[in-house]
Amino acid sequence: MASIALKSFIGLRQNTAEKPHLMTAQTKPSSLNPRKLRVVASKSSPRLTNRNLRVAVIGGGPAGGAAAETLAKGGVETYLIERKLDNAKPCGGAIPLCMVGEFDLPLDIIDRRVTRMKMISPSNVAVDIGQTLKPHEYIGMVRREVLDAYLRDRAQASGAEIINGLFLKMDMPRDGESPYVLHYTGYGGKAGAVGEKRTLEVDAVIGADGANSRVAKAIGAGDYDYAIAFQERIKIPDDKMAYYQNLAEMYVGDDVSPDFYGWVFPKCDHVAVGTGTVTHKGDIKKFQLATRNRAKDKILGGQIIRVEAHPIPEHPRPRRLSGRVALVGDAAGYVTKCSGEGIYFAAKSGRMCAEAVVEGSENGKRMVNEGDLRKYLEKWDKTYWPTYKVLDVLQKVFYRSNPAREAFVEMCADEYVQKMTFDSYLYKTVVPGNPWEDLKLAVNTIGSLVRANALRREMDKLSV
Amino acid sequence: MSISMALFSPPTHPPSLSPSISPKTHLTVKPHLSLRPPKTPFFLLSTTRSSADNGAGTSASAATALEPEAGQKVAEPPQPVVEKDASSAGANGSAGAAEAVEVKVVSKFEDPRWVEGTWDLKQFEKDGKPDWDAVIDAEAKRRKWLEGKPESSSNDDPIVFDTSIIPWWAWTKRFHLPEAELLNGRAAMIGFFMAYLVDSLTGVGLVDQMGNFFCKTLLFVAVVGVLVIRKNEDIENLKKLLEETTFYDKQWQATWQDETPGGSKNQ
Repeated sequence: MASIALKSFIGLRQNTAEKPHLMTAQTKPSSLNPRKLRVVASKSSPRLTNRNLRVAVIGGGPAGGAAAETLAKGGVETYLIERKLDNAKPCGGAIPLCMVGEFDLPLDIIDRRVTRMKMISPSNVAVDIGQTLKPHEYIGMVRREVLDAYLRDRAQASGAEIINGLFLKMDMPRDGESPYVLHYTGYGGKAGAVGEKRTLEVDAVIGADGANSRVAKAIGAGDYDYAIAFQERIKIPDDKMAYYQNLAEMYVGDDVSPDFYGWVFPKCDHVAVGTGTVTHKGDIKKFQLATRNRAKDKILGGQIIRVEAHPIPEHPRPRRLSGRVALVGDAAGYVTKCSGEGIYFAAKSGRMCAEAVVEGSENGKRMVNEGDLRKYLEKWDKTYWPTYKVLDVLQKVFYRSNPAREAFVEMCADEYVQKMTFDSYLYKTVVPGNPWEDLKLAVNTIGSLVRANALRREMDKLSV
Repeated sequence: MSISMALFSPPTHPPSLSPSISPKTHLTVKPHLSLRPPKTPFFLLSTTRSSADNGAGTSASAATALEPEAGQKVAEPPQPVVEKDASSAGANGSAGAAEAVEVKVVSKFEDPRWVEGTWDLKQFEKDGKPDWDAVIDAEAKRRKWLEGKPESSSNDDPIVFDTSIIPWWAWTKRFHLPEAELLNGRAAMIGFFMAYLVDSLTGVGLVDQMGNFFCKTLLFVAVVGVLVIRKNEDIENLKKLLEETTFYDKQWQATWQDETPGGSKNQ
């Protein structure tokens, strides 16, 4: 009982170097209201003598790179541990416009600017969206290996140390002052390909190691539901590639995926054709064949140059933070529903967490504690919760069944919908919009759904 | 009624189908069931839709798993073209297109009234005005066909049909009104019976019942119940729906719930 009450006052533990079980004196009647978890800041944390705060970022993707850069710039001694520095992640590779500005990405990182999208319904009704985009607006398509390397190099230039190694496990500290001991297999140099076991002592850890995060396992963060995304990279003839110059396609339908969508995204010189599912992972190959069938005319004559698959989290892990270890990016489960977007949120969460560490440690001068890291969670949830919730509602309403998907594609033809969708996607804010238009939109949505479901009932009568 | 209309309306010129299949009778029933190998319905159609959906939908969607070539081979041996499911007109059109079984030709949906990616309303005219019911039937058939045999989406041949060209009153007349009649009938029956029961038990007449708060509440509950619970499955579906609306929120707030004592070890 006492320990449960203590949990919310973990922040206070830092000033007194007492063992946990002696803290009974400090129990106040803590209201176990999770939302109002007010943890005292670390202003009373001890100053670090002779050194700066040491933080390890496990995982060198967008989340890790962004976190490491912010930490290094903030004066923290940063280590970035990445197991494969030339990793080409299987990924849609779409980044919103705001990411280019917020992360100062050079424009040559972006292979293609997608300014048009085609949504294709189960009965092949095709709707073009993108007419409302202004000339400077686009969805950037990047190669993950290029983006990840760029962010890592920038982190290194800011002072972070990049370690080529595979994180194995971590020893928990005894108290608020002791370091975390990370065990990893270091590659490179004398170690060669096999690698040698090494350890690293740090004060805090940011887990940015993706969907199969070992850091998450180490802190007992719990599991999440995940989707399998399966993708084939196909090199198609030039005349067909011209069609995809700045166009991406989304196919919806039960044949393509029962709870997600199939896509054709243009990459630097080929297209990525893929699909995903949460509930029917065993049938992913069939879905992929169906996706290729639906796009058949447009990818005829193409050659598959690569096949890849990856899990995508569907929702955040039950615990995203424990002690002085925080999870960011896919490791935390920050992938949106409906669109399955994760790159921007990974980078942003990495940055936000690092900012919280820098602030809590006063630029690396003080020790941090769980309370400082919780601030990152608070800020994150407050800023992006509406976005996630809206996308969740959209997925629940429009990916339910074929009639819902038909209605979805019909709705996409509406200009107001297109404008709202792109505004919120490109700038990552839920735009309030015009109430009169919203009302019309609601009426039209209901109308579309009703019509599509009515047709479905007719269709059922036909089969019986 | 609408089904017989559907079967009669498309002008079927004698198809090159086997004589055993007459275009009128059971076109949509028997061949359909015999063609589809009973695969496990792995397509999870939405659980909140009515069971009728699940029953008919799964047998249709089981076919979507089949690749186009397999679909062809499943056809009855004498006839290479036989996805003779919903669209009799479609079968007509595709009869010409079909070839020997080993060629990977997938018959596309064809219909004389389907012109350039949309329904040509002029061909649906009856007494000078478009017959919206026929349009609805035709579109249902097209979607049914495509659900069984998904086609490649093509740029030369884009589909631009939008169901909103069918006016709202056509939808209302066909779908809403019968259901509204049903629900009003139920409400009336319940209302009459309950009014009689309450009157016989308490002696309060109908007009006085309406003045009583408790009776008004009961009335409200009865109306809402009739509206919301239309089939037996709806009760379960509503419960699931309610849980669904808050599930995602709970997943997000999990990290803020009080952690188990195991967490204190970490510090």
